[in-house]
Amino acid sequence: MERIRIYMTGVGGQGTLTATTLLARTALDQGLDVVSGEIHGMAQRGGVVESTVLLGGWKSPKISHGEADIVLGFEPLETLRGLPYLAKGGSVISNTEPLPPVGVSCGRDTYPAMEHITERVKGCSAKCWFLPCRTLGLEAGSVQAGNIVLLGALCASGLLPFGPEALESAIRKYLKPSLVEMNLKAVELGVAKLAG
Amino acid sequence: MAHPILAGGPGEKHLLLGNEAIVRGALEAGINVVTCYPGTPSSEVPDTFHRLKDGSYYFEYSVNEKVAMEVAAGAALGGAMTLVTMKHVGVNVAADPLLTMTYTGLPGGLVLLSADDPGCHSSQNEQDNRYYARLAGMPCFEPASAQEAKDMTREALHLARRTEQPVMLRTTTRVNHLRGPVAFDVRPEPAAIVDFKRDPRRFVPVPAVARVRHGELLKSLEAIREVAENSPWNVVRGEGKVGIIASGIARSYLTDVLAEQGWADKVSVLELGMSWPLPVKLIGDFLKSVDKVIVIEELEPLLEKEIRAMVHEMGLSLPVHGKCDYLTVQGEYDTTAIQMALAEHLDAQPVSPVCNEGDLGLPVRPPNLCAGCSHRAVYYSVRQLFGDDAYYSSDIGCYTLGILPPLKAADFLFCMGSSVSSGCGFSRSSGKDVVAFIGDSTFFHSGMTGLVNAVFNKHNVLLVVLDNGTTAMTGHQLNPGVDAKVLGDACVHLDIESIVRGCGVTEVAKVKPFNLKATMKTFEEMKGKTGVRVIIAEEPCILYARRTLKLNRPQAAYVAEQGAETDRVLNEYACPAFYRDETGVQVDESLCTGCMVCMQISKNFKARKRSA
Repeated sequence: MERIRIYMTGVGGQGTLTATTLLARTALDQGLDVVSGEIHGMAQRGGVVESTVLLGGWKSPKISHGEADIVLGFEPLETLRGLPYLAKGGSVISNTEPLPPVGVSCGRDTYPAMEHITERVKGCSAKCWFLPCRTLGLEAGSVQAGNIVLLGALCASGLLPFGPEALESAIRKYLKPSLVEMNLKAVELGVAKLAG
Repeated sequence: MAHPILAGGPGEKHLLLGNEAIVRGALEAGINVVTCYPGTPSSEVPDTFHRLKDGSYYFEYSVNEKVAMEVAAGAALGGAMTLVTMKHVGVNVAADPLLTMTYTGLPGGLVLLSADDPGCHSSQNEQDNRYYARLAGMPCFEPASAQEAKDMTREALHLARRTEQPVMLRTTTRVNHLRGPVAFDVRPEPAAIVDFKRDPRRFVPVPAVARVRHGELLKSLEAIREVAENSPWNVVRGEGKVGIIASGIARSYLTDVLAEQGWADKVSVLELGMSWPLPVKLIGDFLKSVDKVIVIEELEPLLEKEIRAMVHEMGLSLPVHGKCDYLTVQGEYDTTAIQMALAEHLDAQPVSPVCNEGDLGLPVRPPNLCAGCSHRAVYYSVRQLFGDDAYYSSDIGCYTLGILPPLKAADFLFCMGSSVSSGCGFSRSSGKDVVAFIGDSTFFHSGMTGLVNAVFNKHNVLLVVLDNGTTAMTGHQLNPGVDAKVLGDACVHLDIESIVRGCGVTEVAKVKPFNLKATMKTFEEMKGKTGVRVIIAEEPCILYARRTLKLNRPQAAYVAEQGAETDRVLNEYACPAFYRDETGVQVDESLCTGCMVCMQISKNFKARKRSA
């Protein structure tokens, strides 16, 4: 198969590492060669959390600037910050709902306009999609389910060698039984948003 | 159902974190004893052992790395197959016993996990602990994948038991925190305990013994060199005339670069997975087979210099390349750096894959003390009273984040425990007032000794023990100050105040940081005194309080009135639950933990019951 590098970025506390591991497990269960990486020294305390999933035989868990076939942004400012990782002809899927950094909350810094972010993403990607993950996550049952909305959209995008059903079976297999239904709903919402 | 790391059978394949793979490897060797001091990026190894305890091994969170190393060495003397884990700087703390236990040898077998952190992702330096393998005389394994992390841990423990020599398993952050498929082998019964044979002429290194034992160590290492010569992780690939020698995670980057650039048939690659003692025959034959050699290793140019020396000794004339503009001594490598460095040796153009420049000046997200963190209340009180008149001696933990404005509660810091002793020295020479901050786990780790010294030598320091009842920064590991109910039957709770008084401190006070008025009053009293003074600020870590102690407060703060005073609270207290919108300052109820400190600072903040 074609080898794929996925760069994922979000904010500590969002649960992006859980999403990263779920995607890596989904790929492994589909018989794909997978390696995944994460940097999370101070993740819990509101810092940026970067993670990777590399499919199809890569050995390195790290992605350099210009190497990511897919940038998956769990938070729009972090999508913008992560754009240098995108390879030529790569694709972007991003949440549109901000988590303002402390400087913005206090009025010292200005959060970039969403139009600016979408323009920048469109300007450097072959394909891109934007979803209101927090809203859709809440519709599924919780803010955290927003991450699974994004993974659902990724699996429906045709960019991966497997579709949403692979993610659904991983959710049934690896998540706590009490969380399965909500997250299956989240996948459904992500898939529907991408189609619509 | 038992966890797959414990119960998984041969042939099963699981996606594991590098650190989890190390645990499985130890179990597949038949581990008997595990000790540690937690520290990123090593922490998931001890935490997994702690979480999965099934009675087949003894595990402890030791109070510091030296103690962990000594307990482990004693256990291995007593015949146990033993693993001791720590981050790279922890090995400095443990170096004293380490450099002698390689002389005596340890019959049960001991492996030291040293988790290095190139790039300083969560550390105060990026020292290269492969130096310790050479300094102490330890065989060294350097895994690059989750599978290797598992297999090398098992092999290292077997080697340690077979040869009685302590062995180093050296990882880097990328390896500890990667995930990959791991094919399991059999998990045997725990290893047999080796009967200790009393032999003071070996195990008591008085000078006459030490001299002999040093010779024994050198002989052992020569014998182990044969293991490295034949190790399945020291292998040559390819037949090109450009030679590349690579170690650690750089092996993975190299493999990806060669595949992506189509360079595999132009080069010969010697991978060194077991990197010490050097397999000199293997390397020598490799050097003779190529026209030039490029050494790819993160951090210090150790292999590079050793290979240069070999080229000289062998009378060869091939050029040896290593550190260069792309492959530096600082930080981590990546595929781009290796591609750019190799290009010139392979008559290719170095190509940067970068195609998008990032936006400059984006708002940053520095890691921050949590909403409801009691350290913020302490720092606020101290800053209100002392301002810039005092100098703040910080230490290692979440509370180092007090460095950020507006709290600005860190002026200097070296290492675990340095807050007390360096604060003393600073105050002595400069005549300035020093307020030192130390967490509970760090106090037990190495603050106590500094405190004894402070009393003994009549230093002038105000030490604040930020006691949040857990080892917060690294993931809430147990320490002697943890609540007795949480510790359970296996451990005993120790009272910090009794220890402080036992160290001879007479000026001791306790505060509850969320009672701002009383806290400020206590600080004010202590400010008026000199000598060694200790304030213990007690309040559980908010994350820990919610998760482990199940404490939740029913009320949250809100802004009842806007104005200059409200803005001042936003700017000076800067709780992450505060934000500003069109109408003014607000409190995000979902982030507010109900600590109620803001409403003690200003009447403009009030409490109310949480909305549903």
